[in-house]
Amino acid sequence: MSEVDGLTPTKTGDERITYRGPIKRLLVSPEIGALIGAVVVWAFFWGNGDKFGTAGSTANFLDVAAPLGIMAVTVALLMIGGEFDLSAGVMTGASGVTIALMAKYFTDGGISLWICIPAAFLLAGCVGWWNGFLVNRTGLPSFIVTLGSFFVIKGANLVFSKRINSLVNVSDVDKAHGYGFFKAVLGGENKFGDMKYRDVIFLVGGLLFAALMILGFMEQALVRRAQRSNTHFLLALVGVAAAIFGVLTLHRTDSVNGNTLAGVVGLIGTVVAIVFYARARFDSREKVVGSLPVASKKFLGLGLLGVLVASFSGQLFDRNEERVMLQWMPLWMRFVVAIAAGALPLVITIRSFMRGDVERRGRVIASLIVRLPIICLVSLTGIVSLFQLTTVQAVRAVLITVAGVGAATCFYQARRAAGKSSTKWFINIGVLMTVAFVFVAFTLRADSSAPRFRGGIFTSLLLASALALATTLVEASHRSRTKADEAADQLGRRMVLLGVVIGAIALSVRLLLSDGVFRMSVFWWMFFTAVGAFVLTKTKYGNWIFAVGGNKDAARATGVPADKVKTALFMATSLMGAFVGAMILMRLNSVQAQQGDGQEFEYIIAAVVGGNLMTGGYGSVVGASLGALIMAVSKNGIPAAQWNQDGRFIFLGAVLLVAVLVNNYVRKKANEQR
Amino acid sequence: MSEKSPLLELENVSKDFGNVRALQNVSTKVVAGQVTCVLGDNGAGKSTFIKIISGLHKPSGGKYKFEGHEVAFESPREARALGIATVYQDLAMAPLMSVWRNFFLGSEPVRRFGPINLLDTKFARKTAKEEMAKLGIDVRDIDQPVGTLSGGERQSVAIARAVYFGARVLILDEPTSALGVRQSDLVLGYVRAAAARDLGVILITHNPQHALPVGDRFLILNRGQSVGQFEKADLSYERLIELMSGRVHAA
Repeated sequence: MSEVDGLTPTKTGDERITYRGPIKRLLVSPEIGALIGAVVVWAFFWGNGDKFGTAGSTANFLDVAAPLGIMAVTVALLMIGGEFDLSAGVMTGASGVTIALMAKYFTDGGISLWICIPAAFLLAGCVGWWNGFLVNRTGLPSFIVTLGSFFVIKGANLVFSKRINSLVNVSDVDKAHGYGFFKAVLGGENKFGDMKYRDVIFLVGGLLFAALMILGFMEQALVRRAQRSNTHFLLALVGVAAAIFGVLTLHRTDSVNGNTLAGVVGLIGTVVAIVFYARARFDSREKVVGSLPVASKKFLGLGLLGVLVASFSGQLFDRNEERVMLQWMPLWMRFVVAIAAGALPLVITIRSFMRGDVERRGRVIASLIVRLPIICLVSLTGIVSLFQLTTVQAVRAVLITVAGVGAATCFYQARRAAGKSSTKWFINIGVLMTVAFVFVAFTLRADSSAPRFRGGIFTSLLLASALALATTLVEASHRSRTKADEAADQLGRRMVLLGVVIGAIALSVRLLLSDGVFRMSVFWWMFFTAVGAFVLTKTKYGNWIFAVGGNKDAARATGVPADKVKTALFMATSLMGAFVGAMILMRLNSVQAQQGDGQEFEYIIAAVVGGNLMTGGYGSVVGASLGALIMAVSKNGIPAAQWNQDGRFIFLGAVLLVAVLVNNYVRKKANEQR
Repeated sequence: MSEKSPLLELENVSKDFGNVRALQNVSTKVVAGQVTCVLGDNGAGKSTFIKIISGLHKPSGGKYKFEGHEVAFESPREARALGIATVYQDLAMAPLMSVWRNFFLGSEPVRRFGPINLLDTKFARKTAKEEMAKLGIDVRDIDQPVGTLSGGERQSVAIARAVYFGARVLILDEPTSALGVRQSDLVLGYVRAAAARDLGVILITHNPQHALPVGDRFLILNRGQSVGQFEKADLSYERLIELMSGRVHAA
């Protein structure tokens, strides 16, 4: 392989030495779709409604979403183990009803919660064991078995609460002995007055996260130099110092000019630090100059168009936020437009079908059967949700998001196409991209009416352009590695891992203390996610869970106690249901007999959105947690954006489909590259 | 080689299922470093035969000796404890799990970390790669899912796994049945490599073309009965075919 085509690992030569870069390896992990989805959905609603994403509302919806998140963790584990539990939802209600009834009625003064809560856990354990036992013994699908349990528990909840309490609502548990303790542990809220440390931890953690990610990726992608270049290293240190100085100054100054100056210093410092660090440590590439390919030019044009749309979308509408959009359009016309939009993909597909030859027709039919319903549903959903956009701000947010992301993608494609022929053009495109986004950032800043939206988009666009510039310079001037290098790979992996851990801690602190109140429910959510992910990936039991779901006979043949693993998973799910039930009871001080009824599907949806395979054997706990977050964000974001609340089901359905499709597509692509 | 005492010996073993005589008076021996091929058409009793050796069935009659001592296994686990490992046709692998996770499935290496038992992923990755290299198998990426490997490579993972976990007798159930020519050759190469590491290998197949080049000893079954046991020197391809098809009885 010559130096010329060193930019992207090519497929020539022995297939065995094809080296998978860090990004590609990242793409195979199951939670990637959910991660992207969570960020996009969050950003979307955050830019959309002023009420979304404030400290108070974040804390509130996280608190409300915690039960879903906790259950998604264990439901994901069960799903990876190849089974479902439809009784998981009503189990939360059953646990609440059991505790509340025992605490109020069983003796004169009621029973201490120290007995009631373990009793509820015992009951849940038995239900879980029974589910597992039946599935193992009869070989029936868990769908059927747990559906049976679901109805039995649902009925029991209603019967017992009506008979004993004469109402479907059991309340006032707070007089029971031990309420104070359990309330504090399960549903407690502790005030933290000082928010300074929270912000410092978030900021420093975020910066460390970004730095470690970049260093780790470079370590995995580039070729190490024979000897470190000290001059370049010193220059990199100067850059780091400038970046730190910029951030510190930003924290202290309040004037617009001061902020701008500090921001510019900080950003230039970052770019300088990254570029010179790469120079100091990694082998540089010989200069290659050539012409720009046509594909690259096309993408450049499209990217610039996207930038123009994004820049002017702010000015297309006047600033009155309260104005309701699309009122002039009668209802029937909206339906016509929506249906027409849904039918459009159909028409296009049929036309391409009519034109093609026989062989092509076969392929088209195959893809039609798979894709058509999905395409129609997604485009219908898109159109319908467009009609739910009732404020100028929302339309602007949509336009900017779509145009911006589209432009970024086009620039990236242009960069890739240019990278194969010309270093000079590669750098030029990177610079152009950066300038374009700085331009968008400043236009938006000048012309949006929502201050938070304006500030946030501005900052993220500036940061993104700095990073784009830095990575372009690094990629253009350095040789990328095409062979595996164990030591460097490991170092890079560790850096990325450390970065992820630090970033996760920083984000957790930020979320846990978002409005200065430490909520136990959110803590438990994070705790169980961490424990679940640890068990799944870092212990032998995780290996067993994967194996039991992936190929049960194989697991058994190699000595894995398959039945025990399944039973344990069913029990874990039911026990977690009891935990969540107790948590909700402690928080609300009352329980509805129908609580959790129907929630089991939300748990499953969260797990599937998080990249877990419905057939078992593949998945991720972190993904499931992120899936729950996506659902919570959309539940909270839709009312905050002043859309029709019932539209959230449409949104959820579309999110589910899109997430699964993206997951499958990404996994397939990443595996093809092996 | 033939001077070595056999690892495993069957004398006049038979198996009845109710009034069905699945296997009658079959004898063979397995010597370390040699490949014993069990040949026969469909329904010849090959499956019953390996199930007896791997401890899944108890023989109804005859003697089963391991290293000269008579044994009676209650479960496959006991057989495995003595080092009798079976690689079944479905290979006992989960296709979506990575090579190293499959390699150590059921016998995961753990590292104590205070009260917690961690999966020793570093050791597992390294060992899986090394062990497979010892059999001459070069996996591109130890983290890739087994489902993305070719059929021959998958067989090789299963063989390497059995060898690593202390197998002394390795039973391979139709390892080449679903493979193309090149892949079959590869797998047969691994079979020889395993035998060269002083394992006794039992290769079950219905394909004489695959059996002849690798086998040292041949046991031919037909309709539940032993047609005969032959050393390699006594056998030609044509004779093997004749014997398998049941047209000619052993002289």
